[in-house]
Amino acid sequence: MSDTSKARRTFSRRDFFKMAGLGTGAAVAASALQPAKTAAAAASPYTDPAGRPARPWWVKTVDLPTTEIDWSKMERYNERYLPEDERGSVRGPGFAGYVGKEQADALVAEGNAKLKQRILDNVDGYTLKDNALKDAQSAHSLGYSFLGFQKAKTPEERGVPKWTGTPEEAARMLRTAARHLGAATIGFVELDDNTRKLVYSVDPDGHQIEFTDDPVASETETHRYIPNSCRWVIVYTVQMSEEAMKRSPTMTASQTTTGAYSRGTQINAGLQDFLRALGYQCLGESSLNALAIAPAFGVLAGLGEMSRLNRMITPEFGPMVRVFKLLTDLPVAVDKPIDAGIMEFCKRCKKCAEACPSESLSFDDEPTWETRGGWNNPGHKAYFENSVTCYTYWREQAGTNCGICFAVCPFAKKDKAWVHEWVKAGASTAPFLDSFFRSMDDAFGYGTQASAEEWWDLDLPEHGIDSTQPVMEG
Amino acid sequence: MSDTVTIKIKKRPWYEWLLWLIWAFILVFIYQNAASSGTELEPRAATIFWVSFVVWLLAGAVIWLLASGVIWFTRRR
Repeated sequence: MSDTSKARRTFSRRDFFKMAGLGTGAAVAASALQPAKTAAAAASPYTDPAGRPARPWWVKTVDLPTTEIDWSKMERYNERYLPEDERGSVRGPGFAGYVGKEQADALVAEGNAKLKQRILDNVDGYTLKDNALKDAQSAHSLGYSFLGFQKAKTPEERGVPKWTGTPEEAARMLRTAARHLGAATIGFVELDDNTRKLVYSVDPDGHQIEFTDDPVASETETHRYIPNSCRWVIVYTVQMSEEAMKRSPTMTASQTTTGAYSRGTQINAGLQDFLRALGYQCLGESSLNALAIAPAFGVLAGLGEMSRLNRMITPEFGPMVRVFKLLTDLPVAVDKPIDAGIMEFCKRCKKCAEACPSESLSFDDEPTWETRGGWNNPGHKAYFENSVTCYTYWREQAGTNCGICFAVCPFAKKDKAWVHEWVKAGASTAPFLDSFFRSMDDAFGYGTQASAEEWWDLDLPEHGIDSTQPVMEG
Repeated sequence: MSDTVTIKIKKRPWYEWLLWLIWAFILVFIYQNAASSGTELEPRAATIFWVSFVVWLLAGAVIWLLASGVIWFTRRR
């Protein structure tokens, strides 16, 4: 008798059912263990204790940012224009300060007249519905508050101790909270004698900002006081819609900027109340672009690099973000700057400068220490822009904020096609290819202005953004 | 008439397999970019990638036909 027939003979029906039962038991046991295993894995999905996302390999963490900084030459900046020293932001009253009140009023009047005529003429991107959407985007802004809206219950009010944890745990928790509130990327910086210079001396509404030994933050009619204990900066980005921005300069494009600011205010308020509920202070922007220089903190927190736009460009979303910041007394694990070859790419590209209708962006090959006016803050080597000609164009021609420089940037991509990742990796590791990449960007038609009217027929996701872009690949 | 058929199997050198592998990878790369450019609403990029895809596919097909001797005038005696 062969071995096979012997085996067949000895493997009885009883054995079969026994084996089947064992298999079923094993399957049940495996399925019972599976949720436990999944729950254990889900408990710590981060590869980093501070919750830092695993970024593409070509985004290198560095000790110093790709923008050179001379802290000895840097002073705290007044975001509100001060006539006595002709220095400050071109925003708000600053524009009139630089061009004269008469000229500013004339430009505003001209812009308003043009805007009305464009609505009447049904000009694409300036129709009534475009203007309505732009207004609607600002209508859902929560508004701003330095001390927060203070709606959440504090631990004292709940009768429980305040939250405690390591700086890494705090950073991971804040990253998760901020992302769920709507932020795209989040980073942290600690204030020291140098980085404190990036906090404004005067807020846009004219309030003086002062650091104090007081344990609790406060504000008066003229001042805002930041406790020295509030020395951790939370920086986060909020995505803008690339598809909308491709319609610059129109209301269709402008509404995504306004929308990002509105979402930024919601995250700002949300994080302030989140930290309040944990038992900590969180100081926010008292108005648009208040408190501190956002791109500077964004760069120090490794969210991106400075660029020829003189704005921050991120590896994930290019320039299609708005940057926001908060201060807290909750100790968090801080981040380092990055080098993704962005600043180096800007040296050869110049696409934004060529596309700028008001020629406000620098054509210099190298960044410079020389500022172009009181609206620039000295102490760092940058491609300084002419904000006055930029804002004049907004008022005189565009009738709204522009954004062409954002739209044409080769880093402004939706990142669905593999080629974008390859180009970014190439720009980071082989700068001699930068000019070739720029030429190809033109040849493939990227950054071309799209039809504002067609935008209304597109089936875009919420906010017109892709929140699944590879921020959380790890 | 003979009752037997002789099939000769020619062993391809390793580098030929490697070249076909590279060709296939590039084909997939171009296809991914063409399809994704459409979803990115980048018509010009999509057109360039689709044209590249067809050209690359045809180039591979023609080379394969020539190299394999399927076409009568390329057959070796």
